[in-house]
Amino acid sequence: MESLGELERSVMDQLWARAVPLSAAELRDALADRGLALTTVHTVLTRLEGKGFVRHDDARPRRFAAVASREDHAAELMHEVLGQAADRQAVLARFIGSATPGETEMLRALLADTP
Amino acid sequence: MLPLSALLLGLLALALAWPVPAVLSRARWARRDPVAALVCWQAIGLAGGLSIIGALLVHGLSPWGGSLPEAWWAWARHWFTGELPDQPVRGDHWVAQTLAAVLALELLGVLALALVRTARTRARHRALLELLVHPVPGVEARVLDSPVPAAFCIPGARPLLVLSSGMVEEFAPDELAAVVAHERAHLAERHHLLLLPFVAWREALPVLPAADRAHDAVRDLVEMRADDVALRELPGPSARRTLATAIVAAAEGGAPTGALAVGGGVLTARVTRLLDPPEPLPRWARPLAVGAAVTLVAAPTLLLLAPALL
Repeated sequence: MESLGELERSVMDQLWARAVPLSAAELRDALADRGLALTTVHTVLTRLEGKGFVRHDDARPRRFAAVASREDHAAELMHEVLGQAADRQAVLARFIGSATPGETEMLRALLADTP
Repeated sequence: MLPLSALLLGLLALALAWPVPAVLSRARWARRDPVAALVCWQAIGLAGGLSIIGALLVHGLSPWGGSLPEAWWAWARHWFTGELPDQPVRGDHWVAQTLAAVLALELLGVLALALVRTARTRARHRALLELLVHPVPGVEARVLDSPVPAAFCIPGARPLLVLSSGMVEEFAPDELAAVVAHERAHLAERHHLLLLPFVAWREALPVLPAADRAHDAVRDLVEMRADDVALRELPGPSARRTLATAIVAAAEGGAPTGALAVGGGVLTARVTRLLDPPEPLPRWARPLAVGAAVTLVAAPTLLLLAPALL
């Protein structure tokens, strides 16, 4: 039995790869190798909708699509990670802040000068 | 007449609100032993809050009794019995009581709010990352597709350590190992918990320069501490240099949209102390710092519990 997290990933991968809205049955067929029940697919889609990654239209049957592309999500996340907002400091420990160009030049020189 | 303990607490609060943080944030020894300095900062935060709220409380409740526990009890009882103390309760006593309550509620409320908000943001980031990141062979972290070199971790019960694909491609394997060791040190020592109160209180007390100073100092010290811990795990004689190189490389690539370096100076400080390590503090220094921190917290606690002397 795969974890819900794994299934969510597979469903999102399908939605991102196809880039067209898919019904739950189409998703089940696309993931045929996993042998999922239609209710399982619905559960996963509901969870993903709750997290704000998926939305559905009013067609019958309903078709599901990713809210944003994988690249957009990654870019948004990176923007938050690299942002300077104060509470980011507490949300994430990130390896480095940013430096002014002058400072990085000076640091390079420092690295070069030290044996 | 102010009770003596209220006066002493007030003086302590003043010292902790201005001169003490100013001195500690400039102290050169801090970077030689970040742990000792971090202990001192936590004590300053705790003792500062205790002493200012305590000073107001002791003064506000002074008509009800000589010591805080006794006065508190009498004060709480008077709401039911309507019994007023022998000494007159003046306007300034009510003002001090109100201020103490407002300040205590604000400090604790803002802290609780920060806890909830960071937990929520973390949960959102984690949900997103669980869909986006993928394992890469040979890298001890999850990888997020993004050209900007970056590394970060999401603390929590199931911590998540993430490197950007840009960093994985551009950094040498030993540099990546240094980055991962640094991030893992943050996670292992729960540095986010050390920083959180200072993030919250900087927001709660924007007029207090000490709140800013304390936040920046703690933020920089946990980075230095993570460097120190990372060095222990990294093999080879050139570990210091590798970590320094990784820091510089990440700083060069990590500034999109020309964001200003808020913590700019700390990069130089970190690289300098890696390449040219300062003499470690003498062995007695850390116990001394811990002793000072304990005294700092014990002093207002004792002043609050001891009978007001006058």
